[in-house]
Amino acid sequence: MKKQNDNKIRKTGLGARASRRISNTIIYIVLIIITIVWLFPFVGILLESFKTETNMQTPYLFPKEFGFDHYVKLFTKTDFLKWFGNTAIMGVATAVLQTIFILSMSYVLSRLRFKGRKALMNMMLILGMFPGFLTMILIYKVFADAHLIEEMAPLGLIIVYCASSAMGYYVSKGFFDTIPKSLDEAARVDGATRFQVFYKVIMPLSKPIVIYTILMGFMAPWGDFVLASYLIHENSQGMNVAVGMYEWLSRTNMNTHYTMFCAAGVIVAIPVVAVFLALQKYYVEGVTGGAVKG
Amino acid sequence: MASVKLTNVKKIYGKDTVAVQEFNLDIADKEFIVFVGPSGCGKSTTLRMIAGLEDISEGTVEIDGVVVNDLQPRDRNIAMVFQNYALYPHLTVFENMAFSLRLKNVPNEIVYEKVTKAAEILGITEYLTRKPRALSGDQRQRVAIGRAMVRDSKVFLMDEPLSNLDAKLRNQMRAEIILLRQKIDTTFIYVTHDQTEAMTLGDRIVIMKDGFIQQVGTPTEVFDMPLNLFVAEFIGAPKMNTFKTKLVCEGDKYYVNPYGAKIEVTGKKAEMLKGKRIGSREVILGVRPEHFVLSSSDNPEAIPCKIVVNEMMGSELHLHVVEDNGDKLIVRIPTVSLSDEQRASLVYGSTIYVTFEGKVMHFFDPETQANLLV
Amino acid sequence: MKRLSDLDYLKLNKWQAFWYKFALFFCAIPSALWKGIKKIGGFFKNCGIAVKDEFVDIGSTFKRGNWAVKLSFFIFGFGNLFYGQVMRGILFLLFELVFIAYMVVPTGGIYWLSKGNWFQKGATIGTVQGGFQYNEVFDTDVWVPGDDSVKVMLYGLLTFIFIFAFIYTWRLQVKQCRICMDITAKGKKIRSGKDDVKSLLDDQFHKTLLALPLAGILAFTVLPIIYMVLVAFTSYDAAHDGYSNLFSWVGLDHFNELFNFSQGGLGLTFGEILSWTLMWAFFATFTNYFLGMFVAIMINKKGIKIKKFWRTVLVMTIAIPQFVSLLYVSKLFTTSGLIGRVLEQIPFIHNWRVANNFVSLWDSPTVARILLIVINIWIGIPYIMLMATGILMNIPQDLYESAKIDGASSVQQLTKITLPYMLFVTGPYLLTSFVGNLNNFNVIYLLSGGNPIKGTAGGASVGHTDLLITWLFKMTLGSTESKYYMASIIGILVFLVVAVLSLIVYNVIPSTRNEEDYK
Repeated sequence: MKKQNDNKIRKTGLGARASRRISNTIIYIVLIIITIVWLFPFVGILLESFKTETNMQTPYLFPKEFGFDHYVKLFTKTDFLKWFGNTAIMGVATAVLQTIFILSMSYVLSRLRFKGRKALMNMMLILGMFPGFLTMILIYKVFADAHLIEEMAPLGLIIVYCASSAMGYYVSKGFFDTIPKSLDEAARVDGATRFQVFYKVIMPLSKPIVIYTILMGFMAPWGDFVLASYLIHENSQGMNVAVGMYEWLSRTNMNTHYTMFCAAGVIVAIPVVAVFLALQKYYVEGVTGGAVKG
Repeated sequence: MASVKLTNVKKIYGKDTVAVQEFNLDIADKEFIVFVGPSGCGKSTTLRMIAGLEDISEGTVEIDGVVVNDLQPRDRNIAMVFQNYALYPHLTVFENMAFSLRLKNVPNEIVYEKVTKAAEILGITEYLTRKPRALSGDQRQRVAIGRAMVRDSKVFLMDEPLSNLDAKLRNQMRAEIILLRQKIDTTFIYVTHDQTEAMTLGDRIVIMKDGFIQQVGTPTEVFDMPLNLFVAEFIGAPKMNTFKTKLVCEGDKYYVNPYGAKIEVTGKKAEMLKGKRIGSREVILGVRPEHFVLSSSDNPEAIPCKIVVNEMMGSELHLHVVEDNGDKLIVRIPTVSLSDEQRASLVYGSTIYVTFEGKVMHFFDPETQANLLV
Repeated sequence: MKRLSDLDYLKLNKWQAFWYKFALFFCAIPSALWKGIKKIGGFFKNCGIAVKDEFVDIGSTFKRGNWAVKLSFFIFGFGNLFYGQVMRGILFLLFELVFIAYMVVPTGGIYWLSKGNWFQKGATIGTVQGGFQYNEVFDTDVWVPGDDSVKVMLYGLLTFIFIFAFIYTWRLQVKQCRICMDITAKGKKIRSGKDDVKSLLDDQFHKTLLALPLAGILAFTVLPIIYMVLVAFTSYDAAHDGYSNLFSWVGLDHFNELFNFSQGGLGLTFGEILSWTLMWAFFATFTNYFLGMFVAIMINKKGIKIKKFWRTVLVMTIAIPQFVSLLYVSKLFTTSGLIGRVLEQIPFIHNWRVANNFVSLWDSPTVARILLIVINIWIGIPYIMLMATGILMNIPQDLYESAKIDGASSVQQLTKITLPYMLFVTGPYLLTSFVGNLNNFNVIYLLSGGNPIKGTAGGASVGHTDLLITWLFKMTLGSTESKYYMASIIGILVFLVVAVLSLIVYNVIPSTRNEEDYK
């Protein structure tokens, strides 16, 4: 039995230093395992893309013969370059438009007070509970009439990505909420209009969230499969990378395109990972800030 | 350089939360007015209504005779210093101070001249190229004041500007604000919750509570003749002692009976009681701690009590004492008046006898809490 | 349930306290729901009051208005023009003219409204069915188009919205005229067009900023959602696509089909998919949440070196587009994939696979589900890790120091300080994440595609790992079986599930209410 009130000074269990060493060793082992598990697919995809001996899945990881065959084929024998271009254009356009929309909405909701503000926020909350994909049935019909599908799908998709993007205002509103309100007030007393407050005081202070929003906008088209496949159908000229490459891993194409998929995957990942790692700091700020604010 | 006039100003938040009401005040040109009161009393709200940062629910605010209710803050020609300074973190000290001038497209030479002049007065010339985060608390404070100074505005508003500083810097900046005031000679409205700041800075003090003005007057007026119990207890530190007791009128003499002692009301206070024709009645008696004196057990005017806390402040001694039936009093005694033996006897648990003079009493109505002599 | 007083509660031992809280939570649900319903009721009541007030105000405006105000009841913007607000007046007038023109032109508003047979059960949407007719020029039957139900519904809906806008604008300009009149009577100046434009950058700045985003939301979210809700009450499917075959109003018939649990009804399939969806969302959310948090705690532990490296390794997963990594990973687990082959070496797994005739691990419903949840951990941990890292850094260090001095071991510090703090701060996040997983299309569709298939339902093949959202997607894929109306109904039900869940959580979880406790 443990004594309830043991006030003696003595060592219980291991000493401070020994116990720390043991726990740290365990943690290092776990972290190394995690690193291997998490990097495995990426290393795998990279290695398999250099295999020249076969197009199929193989029971080994390291290529028997290194070579760039699949990369060459990718650009000469498929529409991959077109898909890549489509996605890149969509990425840039979405980044710009989405940023404007989201920042406008979140700034207004965070800093300005007007009639209907609460109602607007509630409306967007409720709209957000519908599966967003549902709207595509009508949008597809309308876009089909306006010739914004298939070959022109990238344009249609830019509209779809951006039009309602302001509903995702939460993270940046959370950021704006942390800028003290007295800055606005001081500027207004100093003689600024609301517009001047916006671009002379708040915008210069909001670099992290602007970059975060741009980053999210840029990355969206690279990963989107569902909306894109809906508008594109099977038209190769209008595809983005996700829809185009998805077909390569279907049961019928798997044995001829598997390694090519890996090569394409590497090329797709490079720009996104480069941008992402360069701006990682801002991404982390956005994720943590947004989550803590809820 | 302008007068400010508030007429029947009222502020309602939401549907029925009243923050300020029946606010009437004439502020003369170049006057230094201080709004003081506990937090939540509506003083900041009133200031922000004058600045145009809050809508005015009812009543009017005039600056220089012009009703400004509907004017944007920038059209009111006011300058304001915020509690947390509200310096723009992305601008240098110079650009912070120049911000309002830049908005008006003032030519650069004039901006330079005005900003450097203000910086010189405030002693921050060497920091002009720094960003605010590289400054200490009082330096930021100076920049905030400087930013308001370059405006040449009609009214200078300050919202608790010293409350973010530590005690020593606060005293220093307080003195500097007094000096500053002589240099920039304009109308000041200053909000604080600290009665010392209010007393030392203001030409006149507006004491507020729960949205109502309690009293407006010079520091001397509010100290000597508080209109009600709240003002009496709020102004002066440590706060005034109050106790329920009976005022007895015997012939043309008045007595009070705190805790069995019998003390005669003398001087001006007695005359005023007579003038008001007040008879025997229940009152709340107020006596400031510094008006108590030590006495001895044989004095019929003495109140016996026990020391529970002895605070040695250096030049004076604050004694927290408990009277027989549990009431607490604070007594303030200058240390010079005490002999060494006396000082040694003033320890926890010992019994002392205190009394006060007849001319320093304040009388309040137990029901309305109003000063009986006004 | 009887609530204990605070002091009585303190007397309970650990288990009693747990059960007390547990019971309290579930007892609170009905009242939370009731509160929500009452809130909605209150909302409608307030709307009613507001509408009544509007009518009263309109009446009094007409009564005391001068002739200019009275005239603007019929001619938009007349009052504005009369009081010198030229710009507003012209805009209002223009709006009225456009509206009237739109309504009366041959294929305008009245035309579309009359075609719709709105809400008449059994009636077609659109009145003229297209068909093949003999054409003399070509000497053969040619397709003569009739109405397109999709368009009839869309234009009808737009016309309704236009009418609402018209009424609103009418009300707005009447009110403005009255205000102009009142201001003039007081002898004050009326805002000019120039003031209006200027104020768009100042006190009306929100209108400028909101114009574009709101227009986008209205056109691409609000309108389509209203439309799709209407579709749930029609027979819109691949056979009745509106163009080659008109579709019609069917009322609640299709809802009955969905909740029909007998043979041939969709009830059972729906129930199974819904329960897997909820199960998936639960496991996906909580496994990620707790494991991600532990990883974050490990990386951030004092004394662990190269923190940045560990973090970057994980963050890579976020950066690489999901379809690349997910498709690749899903293939790793097939029999010919790298991991699949390794698993094949284990006799038990091999025999089990052959015995069940599975081509790959993905062919077993149970294994596929487990694989999904496991792979989802691989995807989800980095996000949680990042978020948790941010929160961990915000926990004041002196809390740990004081706990150490109070005698807490490192495990106790974890359970008594770190976890409660994290749970408190991330409470709302859990809800968003749960809802996100309910609709987690990418992970399911790219990994398993909803397979293994168990049958067809609602005009689409349904698999054991399909979520409601992927089922919905498959229903709309444009095959000859597609049932768009069923997709709409599923969409509405997903909405209801999410809404009820959010309502309960926001009313029951403390951290959404007492925001300040840990600040």
